[in-house]
Amino acid sequence: MWAIASGIEGNLAAYEAVVADLKKSRQEVENFYLLGDIIGPTAESNRLVKRIQQPRNGEPIPLVCQGWWEEQILILHTLGRTGEPTELIDRYGIDMTKTLWDAIDSTTLKWVQSLEFGFAELDCFLIHGSSVDVSDELTPTTDPIQMLDKLSRMEANQLFCGRSGLAFEYKIESGSLTSQVQTLDTLSAPTPTVLSPRRIVGVGSVGRIEGKASYTLYYPGSNKLEFKTVRYGAKKGFG
Amino acid sequence: MSCIHGNYEALNAVLSDIDRQKADRIFCLGDLVGYGPHPNAVVEMIRSMDIPTVQGCWDEDIVEGLNACECSYPSILAEKRGKAAHEWTNDQIQPEVREYLAQLPLSLREENLCFVHGSPHNQHEYLMPEINAFTALERVMATGADVLFCGHTHIPYVRTLDAGQLAVKVQQPEGTSTKQFTAPLKQIINAGSVGEPRHGRPNATYVIYDTDDKLTTLREVEYDYQLTCQAIIDKGLPAIFAWRLAQGLEYAERAEDPTHVCER
Repeated sequence: MWAIASGIEGNLAAYEAVVADLKKSRQEVENFYLLGDIIGPTAESNRLVKRIQQPRNGEPIPLVCQGWWEEQILILHTLGRTGEPTELIDRYGIDMTKTLWDAIDSTTLKWVQSLEFGFAELDCFLIHGSSVDVSDELTPTTDPIQMLDKLSRMEANQLFCGRSGLAFEYKIESGSLTSQVQTLDTLSAPTPTVLSPRRIVGVGSVGRIEGKASYTLYYPGSNKLEFKTVRYGAKKGFG
Repeated sequence: MSCIHGNYEALNAVLSDIDRQKADRIFCLGDLVGYGPHPNAVVEMIRSMDIPTVQGCWDEDIVEGLNACECSYPSILAEKRGKAAHEWTNDQIQPEVREYLAQLPLSLREENLCFVHGSPHNQHEYLMPEINAFTALERVMATGADVLFCGHTHIPYVRTLDAGQLAVKVQQPEGTSTKQFTAPLKQIINAGSVGEPRHGRPNATYVIYDTDDKLTTLREVEYDYQLTCQAIIDKGLPAIFAWRLAQGLEYAERAEDPTHVCER
C-alpha cells in the first residue's frame, strides 16, 4: 500500500502521530509520499525536515515534493518560479516574509531546492496543487470540466493532491461528448468521445488542524482508498 | 482575423474581402507583427480602422523582449531564424506601435463570443483541431462564452462540441454526493492566418461568423503573395519565410508537442 500525506506545515508532533499510525499497520508501506507543505513559517520546520530525512528503523522513507510553503521560501530567496512573493503577502501580510525568512535555515532551504515537482507512478500523478500551479486548490466543489483538465494535463487516471487540506475522492464516473471538425477542405463526421472512469483524491492535511492529522492510504492492487485520521496530543501547529 | 504577421498585402486583400461580405464588425486575434516585412504599416491600418484586437505572442515578445523557452523552436535552425525575425522586427517597430501592442488585452468578449490569440489560458497554447474533445470543451467553458475564437495555429477550422456530459461522485468523510455536468453546444472557431498561412496554399485565411444563424464561413482569399515574398527578401529577413509563405507551409518549423506551453 501507499501512504500519502500533505500539509505538515512544520508540525512535528502531527508528523510523528502519522508515522506512529503507519507503524501500527499490518501491511507494508511500499511508498510514502509527502505532497508538499512540509515546512511552515516556524523554526520547528527545520527539526521536522531533519526528522523526515532520517527515518528510524522500520519506518518508510518518504518521497517528498514541493508544496506552497516551499515555493514561498524559494521565492523569498529568488529561487522560485515567480519573482515576487505576492501571494504570500496577500494571504498573510508583509510581516510573514520576514517570519518565514527567519524561520527556515540554510540547510532546510537547500533540501527544499532538491525536492521534486511531483511524482508519476502507475496511472497516478501525485502533486501538491496541480500540474498548472502549486497554488492550485482542487476541492470537492471544483467544476468537473476543470478537474478533468487537470487530470488530462498529466495524462493520469488518478491525481493525488494536497493543496486544499481536505480528504476527498472526486470520481468522474463517466463522460461523453460529440465533436465535429470543419476545415477548408474537409468536414469530419460527428465523433463521440467516451470517457473512462478516473479520479482526483484530496489526501487531507497532517498538520493544519491542531490535534487532528489526516492522510490517505492507497492500495494499488485493489485501487481502494482509505482516509485516515489520527488524533494526537495538544502541541500546537501552525495554522 | 488573426496572425497578420506584417503582411500588408494580405491584410489589404482580406479587408477588401470583408468589405464585400458586408461584415458588421471586425475582430483581430493578434500577431500583427513578426515574420513579415511591414509590421508598422499593418499596425497602423488596424489602429486606423479601430479594429478590436487582442495581443498575440509575437506582439507580446516585441513588447516584453524575446523570452520564450527553447521549446518554441523545434530545431536550432528554426530558433536562429525565429530570433533573426524577432530582432529585425524589434529594430523596425516605431515607438507608438510598440506602445499600441503593449496595451492590447489578452481577450475580448462580445455577448456569448470570446476572442483570444492562442487559448484562454495562454497566448502560446495551440488549440489544434485534433486536441482531446474534453480539453477543447474546457477551453471554451473557461471563458464563460459559447463560442471561442482563436488563431495561433495558422490553419482555420470550426470545431463543434455537442452534448457534453460528465457524471461525478464525491466521497468525503462527511458523506457522499453526486453531480451531473452538462454542456450545451459550444464551438471553437480558429480564424487561420491572414499573413502566414499554413493550410497548404499561399492564400490568406479568415472567418465570417453570422451572429443570427450561428453559421461560420471559412474564407480563403487569393492575393499577390509574391509581392510580400519579394519584400521579405529585399528587407533582409530570412529567405525561408518567403519560401514558406509561397507554399503555405510551416516546413521544418513544427513543434513536437503543440500543446506544450512555455514556462516563462
